[in-house]
Amino acid sequence: MAIGTVGVAAAADRTSLRAKAWGLLDREEWLGPIFVSPALILLLLLVAYPFCMALYFSVSNAFIGRPSHFVGLRNFIDLWGSDAFRQTFQNAFVFSGAAVGAKLFLGISLALLLNEQLWFKRLIRGAVLLPWVIPTALSTLGWSWMFNSLYSVVNWTGLALGLMNPPGPNWLGQQYYAMTAVVVVNIWRGLPFFAITILAGLVAIPRELYEAAEADGAGPVARFWHVTLPLLKPVLAIVVLFSTIFTFSDFNIVYVLTHGGPINSTHLFATLARQIGLETGRIGEGAAISLYLFPALMIVVWAQLRFVRKQAY
Amino acid sequence: MSSITRRHFLTTTTGAGLAGILATGLPPARGQQREISYLCWNNFAPLSDKKLAEIAPRFTKDTGIKIRIDHIAAPQQAAKYASEVQTQAGHDLVEMRMHVPWLYEPQLVDVSDLVADLEKKYGKVIGSGYEAAHVHGAWRAVPQYHAVFVSAYREDLFKKAGLKAPETWEDLYKVGRELKKMGNPVGIPISQNFDTISTGSAVMWCHGAREVDKDGKTVKINSPQTAEVIEWYKKMYRDCMEPEVLSWTDASNNESLQQGKAGWIHNPVSAYIVARDQKLVTADGINHHLSLSGPAGRHDVDAPRSIGIWKFSKNVEPAKEWIRYLLGKKEVYDEYIMSGGGFNLPIYTKMQDHAVLKTDPKLAILKGEGVNYHTYGWPAPASDKVQLITNSFILPNMLAKAVTGTSTKDAIAWAENEMKKIMAGS
Repeated sequence: MAIGTVGVAAAADRTSLRAKAWGLLDREEWLGPIFVSPALILLLLLVAYPFCMALYFSVSNAFIGRPSHFVGLRNFIDLWGSDAFRQTFQNAFVFSGAAVGAKLFLGISLALLLNEQLWFKRLIRGAVLLPWVIPTALSTLGWSWMFNSLYSVVNWTGLALGLMNPPGPNWLGQQYYAMTAVVVVNIWRGLPFFAITILAGLVAIPRELYEAAEADGAGPVARFWHVTLPLLKPVLAIVVLFSTIFTFSDFNIVYVLTHGGPINSTHLFATLARQIGLETGRIGEGAAISLYLFPALMIVVWAQLRFVRKQAY
Repeated sequence: MSSITRRHFLTTTTGAGLAGILATGLPPARGQQREISYLCWNNFAPLSDKKLAEIAPRFTKDTGIKIRIDHIAAPQQAAKYASEVQTQAGHDLVEMRMHVPWLYEPQLVDVSDLVADLEKKYGKVIGSGYEAAHVHGAWRAVPQYHAVFVSAYREDLFKKAGLKAPETWEDLYKVGRELKKMGNPVGIPISQNFDTISTGSAVMWCHGAREVDKDGKTVKINSPQTAEVIEWYKKMYRDCMEPEVLSWTDASNNESLQQGKAGWIHNPVSAYIVARDQKLVTADGINHHLSLSGPAGRHDVDAPRSIGIWKFSKNVEPAKEWIRYLLGKKEVYDEYIMSGGGFNLPIYTKMQDHAVLKTDPKLAILKGEGVNYHTYGWPAPASDKVQLITNSFILPNMLAKAVTGTSTKDAIAWAENEMKKIMAGS
């Protein structure tokens, strides 16, 4: 009988534990974190861990497959002694400044155009997104053929129209042309992001404001300066913020088109970091290159977000 | 019909997964055994890659070992090796160009036993193969084949213009001026790629110039011989070539010859093989002659390839079995070499007169004894630092700076400074 009693009690305990466990799973405060945790773990593994590793590498003399030691900020300081790095630093600002500036101007223009009553409006809006949708490496490969010294359709057209002297510009082989080529492809690729986002901002502007401005005698230019632009500011700030970050950290376009050449004249931080860190094995230096602008970009992000918040409230 | 509740979903999926792992005692990825993976480059002779894909299932049938062969473009190889070593995960076997085995010495299995067996059968590995993979007294990769740089030219155009195939780099300048006037310039790349290093190295050696001295420590780029080389490049760029060479990839000189533009290039025979196999109109007119010589004699740049096994591999023995099958079985090795049509040359001395050279009279030039063949960095002993100098593209950038306006003195000083930084590194 005693054995039977113990058995029944143990079974009752198990049932009660199971019931408690089921009960916990029915409570949102437990079930929520359980469902969120896989995403959180993925974020920690795929974002936080690599970032921390990169931070560690940047302050070490890490070389692929060999033990490394802490060297403090030596990598960051030594990089200024590198001709290739100084060139890259300059390239990054020229590339980003030119590309973001052009995308902003063209993006606003395109958005204003798309906001008008056009035939096949939906089709055109969809088509505008194409450069943004096609995988960058693939579309850039197409551009590399268009700029290829042997098969360049750009030069062929220019020569056929009498706009160029034979053999035409060496797009990827001469530094100013090469920089122009990578900037053009970046603009082509990033323009839809600007245009569609700004268009969304334009659509949200109440028509009454335009009607009121028109009633006050404002022409199209005045309406743009005094109604459209001020109300677009928050959208523009966000678009410029994202684009600045994406453009500074661009990799695909330069890697596929020029590999950073000629003579490092189109290298950006990401492409130089790859060359130094992976192709030559010096991952300490490579990580330092890729993180060089991180503090500056953080300040830009903070300032722009602050501006956006001020605009919103 | 009963519906699935959230808690049922959680308990069932978690329980089933864990039960499977506990029952087998192995994590899921480890459940399968005797399967190896092999990473190769996209061979410039594409039929070689097809042949590998044919050999793989036969290997599986004969040995019971499954093999997965992956290919990657040559420019991406270095980064791929680095990421595999850093993560200690990836392929079991990797094909390595030049003396990459020196760079990854601590990460590669000692394969001296395999090489000893192959040398018994086929004779010693030729000099360039030894320079590339014999690291500090041990073989860190098994020499597989080599591709030597020769002169590939449009014989038909030369005949038409009454030009004689050059024998020296100086002859090439004279011929090159005529070729450019004909609209068929010389095609020597001056950009961040390996072909630029290959031709640049050969020109340097033939003029008695070198990057690093025989001691492997002293940077010797700053010399009158290097200045001579740069002056030669400047006049070649100005009078015999077009600015397009500054943007070329490794494939561009091949394409230029194949598409009928370049009249002369310095390259392995892959340009001709592809033109011939694809039946391009230029194929018949293309022929080869020896690489050129200079004041210090003739030195050819050679690109040996070898197969290494990562130490982190869990399948070292099956991986060795693949190498024994591909290179150790003479009929398989022969078949593989034949598939390259003369691009992949056997790297063992007794095989230098291989049947592949008799398949096309235009390949006869390749029957070499290998005494003048060197890998990048020669005469410095192959080392990880020499690899760093190579992979940092210092030589191509020095040449590119010089031909685009930097003075010879400044271009050399820049290269010397960059090389010294690498040699001084830890």
